[in-house]
Amino acid sequence: MEQYQDPLSGVFQALADPTRRAVLGRLSTGPASVSDLAEPFAMALPSFLKHIRLLEESGLIRTRKEGRVRRCEIDRRQFAAVEGWLSEQRALWEDRADRLERFVAKVQEKGEPT
Amino acid sequence: MTEAPDPERDLTLSRIIRAPRSLVWSAWADPDSFAQWWIPAPTLCKVVAMDLRPGGAFVTEMSDPGGPFVPHLSACFLDVAQGERIVFTNMLVGDFRPAERGFMTAAITFKDHAEGTEYAAHVMHRNRADREKHEEMGFLDGWGTVIAQLAALVEPRVLTNP
Repeated sequence: MEQYQDPLSGVFQALADPTRRAVLGRLSTGPASVSDLAEPFAMALPSFLKHIRLLEESGLIRTRKEGRVRRCEIDRRQFAAVEGWLSEQRALWEDRADRLERFVAKVQEKGEPT
Repeated sequence: MTEAPDPERDLTLSRIIRAPRSLVWSAWADPDSFAQWWIPAPTLCKVVAMDLRPGGAFVTEMSDPGGPFVPHLSACFLDVAQGERIVFTNMLVGDFRPAERGFMTAAITFKDHAEGTEYAAHVMHRNRADREKHEEMGFLDGWGTVIAQLAALVEPRVLTNP
């Protein structure tokens, strides 16, 4: 597995493509085989496999071979608390509140007038 | 908001921020301040419009490091009570014009608290079909969350292994 210099750049690269985002969107509903994932896309399997490999290298998904079928799933370690859409939205708002809190604390430390 | 949250499609969060309400409010209502926390670093946020009045446009853009600014949020304020409440929806754009797509209304409230400010968000979503459509559209806002979590995950390692 290729190691990126900066782990984040691998993730940005993985997310910077509509096909890969659609694959992540599909996998967020549950594991799927590569052929099932490839079905909605008008692209040759080798090209599609490159997207899968890039997602795997970014750590966003993991794959394993089950007989002749390669199964893909979201790697929960990377996605942490993101389980389904609503909890994803919750995490988004919680993170915003965290950042607001830190921002306010920083402004207060500086003693800037409100 | 007067309507009780629907656990199937709404989310609520509330926390005490140890700072005066006026300060928390200005972190939200001042565009330069808002841009500094709305989207997680290293992605940059630009506030294109923040017209704090009912019908006022609320538009933000984001840029990944080195990349162009792209649309992030396009919304319309529904209700604004100075220092107390901000309600907006992305189902409308400025001047109440219906949006191409949208799926949520958010009510943010600021209340005095013995230890500072009680900051709360009540976010209402339309229905399950919209949630699924949103998933198909890609992670959109979820990106920010994912990146933030990943950043938190990898930053210590980046620091120790430059």
